[in-house]
Amino acid sequence: MMNVNALRAERGTLLAFAAAIALVIVGGIYRPSFVQPENLATLLLLASFIGIAAAGQTFVVLIGGIDLSVPWVLNAMAILLTTTSLGQNDRAWWAVPLALGAGVLAGALNGLGIVLFDIPPVVMTLAMNGIMEGLVLGLTGGFTCGACNSYAPPAIVWLFTAKPIPGVANGLLLWALIAAGVGVVLSLTLLGRRIYALGNNPLATYLSGIDTRAVTVIVYALSGFFAAIAGFGLAAFGQQATLGMGDPFLFDSIAAVVIGGASILGGKGNYWGSVAGAIFLIVLRSVLQEYNIGEAGRSIASGVVILIALLLYGRQRAEF
Amino acid sequence: MARLRLRYYAVQNVPLLLSLGLFVAMVILYIILFALKQSRLPGAFELLTTVNNTLSVGLSAIGQTFVVLTGGIDLSVGGIVDVTNSVAARYMGDSPGSIALVSLATLAVGAFAGLTNGLLVVYGRLQPIIVTLATLAIWEGIALLVLPQQGGSIPPALTAILAGTLPFLTWLPNSVIIAVLLVAGWQLLRSTPFLTGVYAIGNDERAARANGISVARAKLGAYTLAGTCAGAAGLYFAAANTSGDATSGTPFTLTSIAAVVLGGVSLFGGRGSAIGSLAGAFILTLLLNVLFFAGVNTQLQEFFQGLFLILAVVASTLVRRSLQRAR
Amino acid sequence: MKAIEGVALSKSFGGVVALRRASFAADGGEVHALVGENGAGKSTLIKLLSGLYPPDSGEIRVNDATVHFARPQDALVSGIGTVFQELTLLPFMTVAENLMLGREPRSGPFIDRRKLITAAHELFDDAGISGIEPLELVGNLPLAQQQIVEIVKAVSRKPRIIFMDEPTSALAEHSVDWLFGVIKRLRAEGACIVFTSHRWNEIKGIADRITVFRNGEWVATSQAAELSEGDAVERMTGQRLDVLFPKPAPVTDQTQRLTVEGVTAKKLPAISFGARAGEVLGIGGLAGQGQRELFLTLFGVNPHTAGTVRVDGAAAHLRTPQEAIRAGIALIPEDRKTEGLLLPLSVRQNLALAVLKRVSRNGFVRRAAEDALVGSMVTSLAIKTPNPGQRVGALSGGNQQKVLIGRWLLTDARVLLLYDITRGVDVGTKRDIYLLIRRLSEEGRTILLYSTDTEEIAHLCHRVLIMREGRIVSELQHDLTPEAIVAAAIRVPVAS
Repeated sequence: MMNVNALRAERGTLLAFAAAIALVIVGGIYRPSFVQPENLATLLLLASFIGIAAAGQTFVVLIGGIDLSVPWVLNAMAILLTTTSLGQNDRAWWAVPLALGAGVLAGALNGLGIVLFDIPPVVMTLAMNGIMEGLVLGLTGGFTCGACNSYAPPAIVWLFTAKPIPGVANGLLLWALIAAGVGVVLSLTLLGRRIYALGNNPLATYLSGIDTRAVTVIVYALSGFFAAIAGFGLAAFGQQATLGMGDPFLFDSIAAVVIGGASILGGKGNYWGSVAGAIFLIVLRSVLQEYNIGEAGRSIASGVVILIALLLYGRQRAEF
Repeated sequence: MARLRLRYYAVQNVPLLLSLGLFVAMVILYIILFALKQSRLPGAFELLTTVNNTLSVGLSAIGQTFVVLTGGIDLSVGGIVDVTNSVAARYMGDSPGSIALVSLATLAVGAFAGLTNGLLVVYGRLQPIIVTLATLAIWEGIALLVLPQQGGSIPPALTAILAGTLPFLTWLPNSVIIAVLLVAGWQLLRSTPFLTGVYAIGNDERAARANGISVARAKLGAYTLAGTCAGAAGLYFAAANTSGDATSGTPFTLTSIAAVVLGGVSLFGGRGSAIGSLAGAFILTLLLNVLFFAGVNTQLQEFFQGLFLILAVVASTLVRRSLQRAR
Repeated sequence: MKAIEGVALSKSFGGVVALRRASFAADGGEVHALVGENGAGKSTLIKLLSGLYPPDSGEIRVNDATVHFARPQDALVSGIGTVFQELTLLPFMTVAENLMLGREPRSGPFIDRRKLITAAHELFDDAGISGIEPLELVGNLPLAQQQIVEIVKAVSRKPRIIFMDEPTSALAEHSVDWLFGVIKRLRAEGACIVFTSHRWNEIKGIADRITVFRNGEWVATSQAAELSEGDAVERMTGQRLDVLFPKPAPVTDQTQRLTVEGVTAKKLPAISFGARAGEVLGIGGLAGQGQRELFLTLFGVNPHTAGTVRVDGAAAHLRTPQEAIRAGIALIPEDRKTEGLLLPLSVRQNLALAVLKRVSRNGFVRRAAEDALVGSMVTSLAIKTPNPGQRVGALSGGNQQKVLIGRWLLTDARVLLLYDITRGVDVGTKRDIYLLIRRLSEEGRTILLYSTDTEEIAHLCHRVLIMREGRIVSELQHDLTPEAIVAAAIRVPVAS
């Protein structure tokens, strides 16, 4: 039973997927190797990191908030994982929950600051980003510590990069699992219903007896959780955690959500859109790379693409 | 009459006064710590470096103020700083004509960037936070095209003018004079119908419209001024560092917002002053100086800045709540 | 020559028709009253004629010349001034800045602040107002003074045509006299004044002509002298007189269901009353006498600092709506757009919102259970929707209101707080809601009913409490007529 409104919400998702496919074709015309399955699988794996971080950002944007702390929460948790596990599987069993828990805690603190002290989300998450950055730099002595160059534990590397199914990295399966999970949460659970309600009309939701503060804290905590997982994936992919590895994720996580058709004002959108947005961003950049367009051009193109997406389906109604 | 006006002004500008108070407290704390560590009082050199280090952030924060007053936010500040910084470093020659022309050109680039944001927000009917996130990426990219390698050069003459001292007033850095001029300029602008309109739409856009205020004109003006200020920040940053860097603007987006918040400007729009934002920029610099003299690991500075920002907002929220309760 | 004329104006908002081919004209030198019930289209007409938004169709003429207002500025330039019902003041700017917005005294390119203050003082002096400080922030003024600032601002622009939408609703009696003095002076100067009011004696006291609106349509325009209150009410309510209010069901159960003892909260200095199971208790009085605060406090939105509330003898904690719902209390709010509905979401999501937990297991919403509940409510309230997945914003106003009511009936609340729930609802839906209220009362639920329509209170309630300044000043149980209720509401206390 698909009604007009649902279709409108899906428009961003469909357009982003269609545009990604079109771009793949464009890339293939220029260089047939671009459309080789191995290359496409690599692109998808790269997209998965953005996609996983964007899962958290999707939750936050759906309630009408924004999380600017994704970059350094991601970075900090990746570093926390490598420096505590020291690349050893027998330390990973506690290092992994520790880093995940720390990510959840950072996110929850964002939520608590917002609901308890009325701090605007932009300011709270901005400050949290700085706090995480400062903590990482301070505690690692500017990344000079002995443990700083530790590798990601092999189990985590396996979880993201191994290919028990030929050609398909585990990371992709994990992403599919996350996508399914987020999809289920948003469409089938109590929490999902409350998130959409809160994003659409906070006052009416509160007056309907829903604990809007709890929902807000949970949502920001989820964002911290997914940022941590994205950090693990990035550390696994590059073997190590590095300083500044999270920086592109401020732009990318929000861009994926917006390109996917979610409204930054909250209440409208879904995770499939963000998945499409993440894939589109990566394909766009890699096609531009095929055409020998440098970092500058890729950055410009990413910005222009967001503007186009917004003008296509992100405009507000005319104000009378 | 004058006393009455003063009393009303004080009651109505509690956040600004709190921010100025915090600024004074930080100055005193800095002087005490400095004196304890160095066994002398800070002098002309310390004044020069402190103000020079702050002025570019201060300029970008003043720009951010215009947009925040309309109820929006400008994330593209960093990108505009990048591109104007690069333009200045790449194209400026040593001749007075070139210095003047390229300086004006950087400001024009900033104004154009701001106007673009404004047009997208007003006529595109898009949310400021996303529009400026997109233009941030665009300007960052353009900056890399303008100045692919760090470097370029800024003529010493411009550095001397913007970041030096006058030959007959060596104890008074030019940056202090610029800061004073900025405050005076803001006060003049505050008395224009244009800025009154900006405050009006930040108070309540519908009501302002019903009163005959042109929302489009006020917003376009605010975004253009914001871009111009970010351009000035990029120019000043290049002059103070005597060279350019296409990625030097990155921190400016976040510090400009932090300075605005510390300056007591409401992120919901319609309330606050660029003087507070400038004070906020100084508070951020002084905080770093204080941490340095307090022997805190400099690598923790972002941590303390973030914490300080949260504490300041929480404190002002608590003050506001207790004032409301007292009513 | 007609000063202002609207010809066949239509306007709808998201599927809800606010104005349907309505025509209206007023002359210079006359005071023209617009009357009609809430939702009759008066405010929409005024907003169209003031350029706040454009009509969907129809034409506006000023001095017989067709005009197109793209923005309010254009109307201001055409000599139209407006006192809007929802004031157009800027809360964080001073009284002086508000009064002079857009026409500040200048010296060179700059606003002359000293002259600005002087000008504000002069405007107040001219208008005969004292006691409002031009340097104060408007947001710090009490509502009555804000209303005066809004009036002075509009009048001081010397408009030839001036609209006043409910200018007296927030004013004390002596300020109403002041306003009428202002209106008479404007009329003597040849201006055209169009105003709306719910108070018949005010209308009779000042209007030259009266135009009646009903359900977004023009009904009649007559000389004020020739129109009696009865005729006016008949025209305003139209078919509604044919609507038989169902007789309240007899209260058989004598159980005390709701007990409010000494509840003290914002605008409520210690209030006490009780209500039985199955009783419909009207909360009457003039607008803004603490009725809204009472409802919000009983629903846990406004905190109370003293007193207790009991439902069926059990003390209810009421710190959040959540706790109120748990205690068996439900509030159906007046403004369904901002306080009630999630317009872009489906009928299903809106109906189930307050009972999501009940239809969930282990955090998952059980779709079958939800659909069963939602379906039963759609049927039981006869909500006209193609399917439960339909976006609520696309329904008619009456059906939107039914969805909101349905949400709260699903909570099985024993105490229902109905706050002006028939506002802006069509006649057919009103009848459905009246029957529903009776049914709910028969089921033994206790209902607190507030309405701006006194007829409703008179006909639907077993008992009526009259509130003034947050206190219950009288209680009516027998002979509930609109006249008796209004008389009790306006009976001026000896003091104050």
